Amino acid sequence: MLGYTITQWLFGILSFLAIMFGLLVVFSKNPVNSVLYLVLTFFCIAGHYLLMNAQFLAIVHIVVYAGAILVLFLFIIMLMNLNEDSEPQRTWLTKIIAAASGGLMLFVLIGSLKGAEKLTLTSYGAAQTGMVKNLGKVLFKDFLFPFEIISVLLLAAMVGVILIGKKETK
Amino acid sequence: MKGFLIITALGIIAMLLQVFKLKKLLLPITVLGILTAYVFNFLEWNQPFSISYFENMIAFDKVSLAFTGVILATAFFWFILASKSYEGEESMIDHFALVLFALTGAIMLTSFKNMTTLFIGVEIMSIPLYVLAASRKKDVLSNEAGFKYLIMGSFASAFLLFGIALIYGASGSFDINEIRAYITANQGELPSFFYAGVVMMLIAMCFKVSAAPFHFWAPDVYHGSPTLITALMSTIVKTAAFAAFMRLFLIGFAGVSEIWTGILVVVIAASLIVANLTAAVQTNVKRMLAFSSISHAAFMLMVILANVRSSLSVNAILYYSLAYSIGSITAFGVMHRVSRNGNETVDSFNGLSKRSPFLAVCMTIAMLSLAGIPITSGFFAKYFVFTAMIGTAHKWLLILAILTSAVGVYYYFKVIIAMYFKAPDTTVELNTDSSGNLVVLITTIITLVIGIVPGYIAEMFTS
Repeated sequence: MLGYTITQWLFGILSFLAIMFGLLVVFSKNPVNSVLYLVLTFFCIAGHYLLMNAQFLAIVHIVVYAGAILVLFLFIIMLMNLNEDSEPQRTWLTKIIAAASGGLMLFVLIGSLKGAEKLTLTSYGAAQTGMVKNLGKVLFKDFLFPFEIISVLLLAAMVGVILIGKKETK
Repeated sequence: MKGFLIITALGIIAMLLQVFKLKKLLLPITVLGILTAYVFNFLEWNQPFSISYFENMIAFDKVSLAFTGVILATAFFWFILASKSYEGEESMIDHFALVLFALTGAIMLTSFKNMTTLFIGVEIMSIPLYVLAASRKKDVLSNEAGFKYLIMGSFASAFLLFGIALIYGASGSFDINEIRAYITANQGELPSFFYAGVVMMLIAMCFKVSAAPFHFWAPDVYHGSPTLITALMSTIVKTAAFAAFMRLFLIGFAGVSEIWTGILVVVIAASLIVANLTAAVQTNVKRMLAFSSISHAAFMLMVILANVRSSLSVNAILYYSLAYSIGSITAFGVMHRVSRNGNETVDSFNGLSKRSPFLAVCMTIAMLSLAGIPITSGFFAKYFVFTAMIGTAHKWLLILAILTSAVGVYYYFKVIIAMYFKAPDTTVELNTDSSGNLVVLITTIITLVIGIVPGYIAEMFTS
């Protein structure tokens, strides 16, 4: 089709949708809508993972992010009852400075990624990099130490939650 | 490595003490564990070369062992200082366990060899501190500190991750030695997004060491957190962040120094000016010390700017972080005793020389050390920074540093003047705390001893 392969078509469509939904996350007025658009963005990114032959990552991405974390987000937003009225009003100066610094960052990133298309990607999709078997080999051999030590991070987070959440008896 | 494992296990053992209702053993076990870790640290010191573990994820060479030593020494004093104040509190074990986990992250930061260990180390160190900053639950300032630290810290972590992703995209590796090899192999034709990645990591690291213009969180967080937690942030976290900064930029990105030195010059100049001028108008001592910590960060960054991974610059940063950590522990230890109900203004130090001459003398020596007056260790710390900087192209930064240090003398002396020349507002006696006094005494002696004979630490690495 028009000289592109089906993978390239899918890549284009998914990227377009991901960027559109990403913009809608930022621009929609209602926080609940924002979160729902974020779910759709994550689905598009999961599609990208599938195109890169990383099935396990795609499924985990959907289960963990779209399934668990964003549901948590939704709960919190509904509990806090955020709406436009409770949003703090920012001055024009803050808005202009924020837009300028964000725009500069975008400018730098686009500028630096220009020319990157000349780089050749090795082992893209060809090797079975994303398959569970290879992922397991990498995770439990090369990256065993980070994988294990992250348990300390989770433990610290749990202790922290208890420390903050526990009611003082005194 | 064994020291690292002991500290990790110690955090878990501390939590088990709660289960077995052995809270009385908490302090002895913690202190003994840290001493054991110290012994293993010394034993590893005698190995001829660095040993890497787990597929080159983490490696302990002499530099990382020396920084681990500084961190463990500070932690040792901190735990003794804190034991009295958390005594009888229900959450004492939680506090100690969280600090031990933060120590785990700090030791990882001194010895990482891989970007994944760097990131996880930063997170393990930061997440307990977000919680500890907010640990005074009914205090609005403490809540604000914790929240601000969490939001800003997550933002910096996002920058760090984005930077790591871009660098991985270019070099295809997380290993800092391989990234270094990649830079040398592709000198002059590196893709431009590699540079963007380096700059993003620089931003994240500058945030972690609280250098201007990424310092806005520091005064509020230092001010709002409980005093002992502030002591932790300005000593252990700073030392670990600088060890990581040095490892990342002087090993990993040494080949692209033309990209980051220019930014670093601006960061250092801004930190020196903003921190010292703002500190001069503070009335709250804790806030003043927060700004002074920004200016000390600028001094340590100067050594990194000199960009020579020679024994000279490693010695300079090591000596500076030791002098600064020990001096801060004294200052925060005294402040913790003096302040009542979260009031740490300069006025609360009024007439301390009459209420407690001992504490006043110790505080004076700590302030002199932070200001960089001779025979205290702070003087030699600054002196070594200047020697490291003198050979570089940025000599004007030295003049700026000396001028702003003069401003520093003004605000450190405000506290000394309040202690000796002003009448005390209250006649309330300070509560006795013998272990706290001991810590303050020992740290003051260390400040003086390494100031009089700086040779042992200042010539630790010779090559």
